[in-house]
Amino acid sequence: MTDPLEQETVTTEAESRPRQRFELEDTGFDEVPPRFRKFYRRWRGPGDQLAPNEVICPVCKVVIRSTRELRPGDRVYCMPCMSRLIVVRGEDGRLEARVAY
Amino acid sequence: MKTHTPVSPDRGTTPSEPFEVHDLPPEEFYEQVHSFEFWFHAVQGYLGDKVYGADPKIQAPELPDLDRDRLITVLCNYCVGETAALEGASGLIGIAPNRQAKIFLSTQVVDEGRHLEVFLHRLRLLGVADPEGEVERRASRSLLLFKRRLLELVSGKDWEAAIFAQNVILESLEFTVFQSHAREADPLTRDLLLGVVKDERRHIGFGENELGRRLQTAPHIRARLGQVKRELDHLVLDTLEETLLELGADAGEREKLGRAYLEAAARLGLGA
Repeated sequence: MTDPLEQETVTTEAESRPRQRFELEDTGFDEVPPRFRKFYRRWRGPGDQLAPNEVICPVCKVVIRSTRELRPGDRVYCMPCMSRLIVVRGEDGRLEARVAY
Repeated sequence: MKTHTPVSPDRGTTPSEPFEVHDLPPEEFYEQVHSFEFWFHAVQGYLGDKVYGADPKIQAPELPDLDRDRLITVLCNYCVGETAALEGASGLIGIAPNRQAKIFLSTQVVDEGRHLEVFLHRLRLLGVADPEGEVERRASRSLLLFKRRLLELVSGKDWEAAIFAQNVILESLEFTVFQSHAREADPLTRDLLLGVVKDERRHIGFGENELGRRLQTAPHIRARLGQVKRELDHLVLDTLEETLLELGADAGEREKLGRAYLEAAARLGLGA
């Protein structure tokens, strides 16, 4: 199996469009200093869904949020667990984050 | 709950571009998250109004005798785990390879001391007159053996093995068990556990990232860590099984939590 981190990035039609932008609102997440709180939220369980600007941290399971739509190859930070992550497309077609040590 | 609002598509960077945390240079990110300043403002968010780790408006509930007895056993073992991490983290400051790791570990020492204190306080609220004596009487043999081995690794100045045992193995076990316990616990214990889980996120992240970086530059360490994992796995899995039985978790839940515990080691390439 090819490691998604080593795969060449294939740009799809959707990914060649300008990125959607998001204005982040406070979600009540309280585990990082106030200035960074809007970039994270808790996963709300089985009924929850990720928005195009969100991905789950595989280390601590917090939802990481960006002001931009996320795409494979993007780098994001999980401040609650201090991880650097890279966004990849998982086998099921959804965006996932992998730890970039 | 609506948590984000799409705005116009990106047409390129403009002077009014909003702050984006993910654009920070990696060095700035690491400097920030390993600092005491970051820790202080983070814990203020969720501990500022707590008393012994819990909302002071939550009353200690009366529990049936069997539930109370089981909770006492579980809390006694949490105290053993927290004491191991307190002694381990404080010992590791002296051999930490750089300033960021030393400062981070100093914040972890404070967290672990707080955890021990709040669990002992919860035991007192359950009517345990001598919590430390009770911890000695009820401590799991597997967990005591784990603690002894962890402290041997620390005193042997084996940085990678000790960080692996403490911040990957022990912290993953605690993170998994505390979250599971919080789902079924009485309101006071639940509030206390949820605060502890928030601290544990930093501890597991520090361990996994520190070792992940080291394994990239010194892959030969992997064999040594694999050996430590094989040595400690059965102690941790026995402790997990004992604790989850006390908490009344069914076989399916115990298996699921066992897998969750092993995830971090697998991400580091230590799955076998």
